[in-house]
Amino acid sequence: MSADTFTVGKTEIRKDAWDKVTGAAAYVDDVALPGMAVGMVVRSPHHHARIMQIDARAARDVPGVLAVVTAADVPGSKTFGPLAQDRPALAVDEVRHLGEPVAIVVAESKTAARRGVKVVAVEYEPLPAVFDPTAALEPGAPQVHPGGNVVTRYDVAGGDVEAGFAEADVVLEHVFEVPRIAPGYMEPEASTAEWNADGTLTVWVSSQKPFEDRHQIASVLGLPQDAVRVRSAVIGGAFGGKEDSGLAILAALAAWAVKGTVRLVNNRHESFLAHPKRHPARLFYKLGAKRDGTLVALQATVHMDTGAYSSYGPAVGGLLTEMVPGAYRIPHVRVETLVVYTNSPFSGAMRGFGSPQAHFATESLIDMLAGELGMDPLELRRKNVLRPGDRFFTGAPLDQTASSLPVILEHVAAARARLAAIPAPAGRVAGVGFALAVQSMGLGYRVPDDSTNRLEWAPDGTIRVYVGAPDLGQGLATAAEQIAAEALGIPYGDVRALAVDTALSPNGGVTCASCMTYVVGNSVMMAARQLIETLLAYAADKLSVPRAALAYRRGTVVLPSGETIPVAEFASRAADEDVPLRAEATFSFPYPEATTPKHLPVGMPHGMFVFGGQVARVEVDRDLGTVEVTDLVAIHDVGQAINRAGVEGQIEGGVATGIGYALYESVRLKDNGQWVDGFTEYLLPTAEDVPARIESVIVEVPEASGPHGVKGVGEITLVPTAPAITNAVCDATGVRVTAIPITSEAIARAADPA
Amino acid sequence: MQEIDFYRADSLDDLYRLLAETGGRVIAGGTDALVQMQRDAFPAAVVIDASRIADLRYIREDGDRIEIGALTTYADLLASSLVRRAAPSLIAAAETVGAPQTRARGTLGGNIANASPAGDTLPPLLALDASVTLSSARGVRILPLGEVLRGPRQTCLEPGEIIASIAFRRLPQPSGSAFIKLSNRRGMSIAVVSVAAALALDAAGRIAEGRVALGAVAPTAVRSPAAESVLAGEVPGAETFRRAARAALDDIAPIGDVRATAAYRREAAARLVVRALNGAWEHAGGRAGA
Amino acid sequence: MKPITVTLIVNEQPRTITTEPNRTLLYALRDDLGLYGAKDACGGEGECGACTVILDGEPVNSCLVLAGQADGCHVETIEGLAAGGQLHPLQRAFVETGAVQCGFCTPGAILAAKALLDRLPDPTDDQIREALSGNLCRCTGYTKMIAAVRRAAEDMSHVR
Ligand SMILES: Cc1cc2nc3c(=O)[nH]c(=O)nc-3n(C[C@H](O)[C@H](O)[C@H](O)COP(=O)(O)OP(=O)(O)OC[C@H]3O[C@@H](n4cnc5c(N)ncnc54)[C@H](O)[C@@H]3O)c2cc1C
Repeated sequence: MSADTFTVGKTEIRKDAWDKVTGAAAYVDDVALPGMAVGMVVRSPHHHARIMQIDARAARDVPGVLAVVTAADVPGSKTFGPLAQDRPALAVDEVRHLGEPVAIVVAESKTAARRGVKVVAVEYEPLPAVFDPTAALEPGAPQVHPGGNVVTRYDVAGGDVEAGFAEADVVLEHVFEVPRIAPGYMEPEASTAEWNADGTLTVWVSSQKPFEDRHQIASVLGLPQDAVRVRSAVIGGAFGGKEDSGLAILAALAAWAVKGTVRLVNNRHESFLAHPKRHPARLFYKLGAKRDGTLVALQATVHMDTGAYSSYGPAVGGLLTEMVPGAYRIPHVRVETLVVYTNSPFSGAMRGFGSPQAHFATESLIDMLAGELGMDPLELRRKNVLRPGDRFFTGAPLDQTASSLPVILEHVAAARARLAAIPAPAGRVAGVGFALAVQSMGLGYRVPDDSTNRLEWAPDGTIRVYVGAPDLGQGLATAAEQIAAEALGIPYGDVRALAVDTALSPNGGVTCASCMTYVVGNSVMMAARQLIETLLAYAADKLSVPRAALAYRRGTVVLPSGETIPVAEFASRAADEDVPLRAEATFSFPYPEATTPKHLPVGMPHGMFVFGGQVARVEVDRDLGTVEVTDLVAIHDVGQAINRAGVEGQIEGGVATGIGYALYESVRLKDNGQWVDGFTEYLLPTAEDVPARIESVIVEVPEASGPHGVKGVGEITLVPTAPAITNAVCDATGVRVTAIPITSEAIARAADPA
Repeated sequence: MQEIDFYRADSLDDLYRLLAETGGRVIAGGTDALVQMQRDAFPAAVVIDASRIADLRYIREDGDRIEIGALTTYADLLASSLVRRAAPSLIAAAETVGAPQTRARGTLGGNIANASPAGDTLPPLLALDASVTLSSARGVRILPLGEVLRGPRQTCLEPGEIIASIAFRRLPQPSGSAFIKLSNRRGMSIAVVSVAAALALDAAGRIAEGRVALGAVAPTAVRSPAAESVLAGEVPGAETFRRAARAALDDIAPIGDVRATAAYRREAAARLVVRALNGAWEHAGGRAGA
Repeated sequence: MKPITVTLIVNEQPRTITTEPNRTLLYALRDDLGLYGAKDACGGEGECGACTVILDGEPVNSCLVLAGQADGCHVETIEGLAAGGQLHPLQRAFVETGAVQCGFCTPGAILAAKALLDRLPDPTDDQIREALSGNLCRCTGYTKMIAAVRRAAEDMSHVR
């Protein structure tokens, strides 16, 4: 496609890169507003406790302390949450996890704030706590919330799973465990709020959802929506974890309390304890197949730990449920998913949104089945992958998009053969493994999923794109600029996306769910068509010619004579007249009425899918059990790459995150009762832990409804990584890992008695 | 961030005076101390920076004796051809400490004074039979490293006393040393188990002296007398090394923590002792055993 | 806490500040000097490298250096790298290779790479990986960062 486009499909340089390499990019914590005070949060030292009393007198007496805010001061709704309003802005009578915010100290300096935090006296009465979702389901388990520990229960079936197992020649049953992991964005949460003289608030955020933040802030502050203006700073990564309004709400409360400007910045420990993680889960799977490898039935029960608050847990549970059968056609499936409260730090959205958990189990079990049947795992997959025209077990139809699966499989086969030929160095054994994955795009049926974006011609003839959803660093702004430039036939350099400001930008939706380039791109293309109409109508008026006499071509208005007038002439005039040339369009994620099944809970099913596969080569020190991922080939169908380097960047970053999931990362409770809450114990992969070059193979099977055929690539890139690695470890050592992260101990060959 | 008062000492005299006047605690590169301060856990309210005292930053050779000033950084060690020749095990340890940023600031004296059971230079220095010079306004004492390390983050240093230098003797040729560290991540990480070995061979190719030290498997880094007595006088090779490894297990008491279980540490320690001895033997001109 | 007075030679310019004695070099740069390029991503543990600056020629985590310890020292920060509005070859390579995503780790990673190339103009991939091993990045998977350093090394060798 890139042959006949002039910017789509090319690696344009993202426009914020210059600021980012020179240190000029302004993240929230990089802007000091005049008279700004510092907010620091008093946090719960208990996993679960009743708050008997909060005495802030000593803190208020600390020189430089301006205010101490507690739940009693909250003027509006005491609780908030994206789905259920179960989370207090500041703890009300009870704390449910370690690190939960109890009070905010606002002070003139960090030192004064620290001194204040130390002397806020909170009297607690500890309560029993529970940390495991299966244990939390037991009768008599400590109750995290009054309504019981089950947040949501899904029970979704396609076919008749009992009948399916009756047909099976081979049935495998295994339990898999996946850890709680941190999104690990480099910029910890930060927010600055400014109380304006007119009783309104301006709040700077590092967030995936400024419009939703506005709503949540207004509700907790008891203000009308239009009294709150939310502005996006440069965002230092998000990965789902910044779909959370918690810190912005605290900053707003602090600014309201002192009627001034206050900045709150979490340190890394606070980020670990009090912001969303990926849900840990225990997955009980049962898979049945015919002797020839045909899959016939799959049943799964999943216990998902959402921690102390539900956040997006119910939605994650829904998607996890849908993703259980992976990229395979299985006629009889039943999945029961329980989203459970515990006293762990809460989990919410994170890149993959339930899919990585499901795929770890599914892709492991498929390899185990291949072993059981004595079949090549690639053959087994070839036999069972979804094909165009199939339906998921939810009933969601699968169109030609699935035609990428055989292509992906062939790339997998080639990469596997190439990597398998590399000999192991002395003292190590090598193995190659792979996994497939499917990921949905969009938020799911009956969840509002609209994106509105605006284009405006600046007086100089360049284009401003008011993208209504933030760029988290992944390059959404660049993609929107390229699509706008393409649609208007003007150079990429003449288009500039602006940061989200709820006072100026339309609502572009939440940046999530692998669909931003798709929805924003579609909306921008619609807006571009309207913008041309607006321009030509305006030009016709000014030139006193009929509209039909004019045409638009590449930044110019074409007159009947063939003569062209640069758009700038009209744009500047329109600006002078205060009627800027602009157009705005809303794209709604499509769920075709005729084919979308309607019997499922809200948010199900998803209707659009992407596929990928990854091949890993590992080397294992057999005696010590250490694993190194030496090579990784990632094959992903992206529909159409808008920006090639951008797509590769999504793949490479996703793979590295997947390597961390497989090998290193787990936010777990230590013997001393503290969580792993810093990078000393929570190990992110370093440059020495990922292959020097992660190889991307970009497959392009266009999505008919996508702008230029685009599909989503943001999440799937980390989904197959962990099972590809554990499958490779099994190939190398014969050891099957059913719980990640892999520990060396699990792989080490038991010592011969020396 | 902990509240402190700060002084900088530009000379040793300055340092002794400040220590006496303030009752403060010295810091060098700050790579352990600052981490503690950010957690409000540095054990002093006055901090005296010694990092600029040039008299404590040197690497010297005096006959077969090598002396290293306490303020010598890992980067200094890695740049020293003298240390590279005399103590490859110490180089191997310095290479694995943290990342370049840590190695540029962190000092040998700090690694000892910090007395982490997992301190990377401690096993190689123990296996080199290193001695530590402690100095204060009152004078100087020289102690074997093993006596300086008292427990996790505990040393025998008295108030007002600092580590001035570390010294060891080259083993007579043919000899060799090696260090191996096992950790949970390849880049930048703390030892789960580490082992250093040093071997000197006699004219007949037997082990004249063999030393083994282990990290992260006891309250401090420890020598293994049991392994060393197995080695003495033996023919080097797989069989001997395996026996030494088994013996070493009597001298360690690993715990389980967030990084590894006690059982895994034991098994890994045994494997690493064999590998470190092989490495030392190879460096001494021998052939690695299985 | 008795305030201290410290002179830092930041990007060749002497800057004198009077600040709190527990101020780290990182926060002296950020809060006292308004240089925000060095970032705090790990909370002062030296584990992320986002605060990397070059102190007297060596890459250091500025979160683990007290401002007082750097008194009189040369501090090179990301703000000083683009001389006369010209990007340094490393900055250019990071931009052109697509090694920049969210950008939070970028200043630290570029300075760590600069310290490498200052010492070792023609590094291998493994040397680059080691030089970057103290700089965590969650966005890029490091592939393009490594490629950018390689490319900058090549560009700089042409200049020499
Ligand atoms: C990211 C990171 C990674 C690390 N990785 C490793 C690793 O892989 N292996 C490892 O072993 N260590 C590691 N460390 C720990 C640390 O870098 C080393 O222990 C280092 O050698 C400490 O030296 P320093 O000069 O920085 O000590 P400082 O932090 O200055 O001091 C540490 C302690 O020693 C005392 N002290 C320092 N010098 C003297 C002296 N001359 N006399 C008396 N007391 C003194 C101080 O009072 C303080 O209590 C790491 C640290 C960080 C931040």
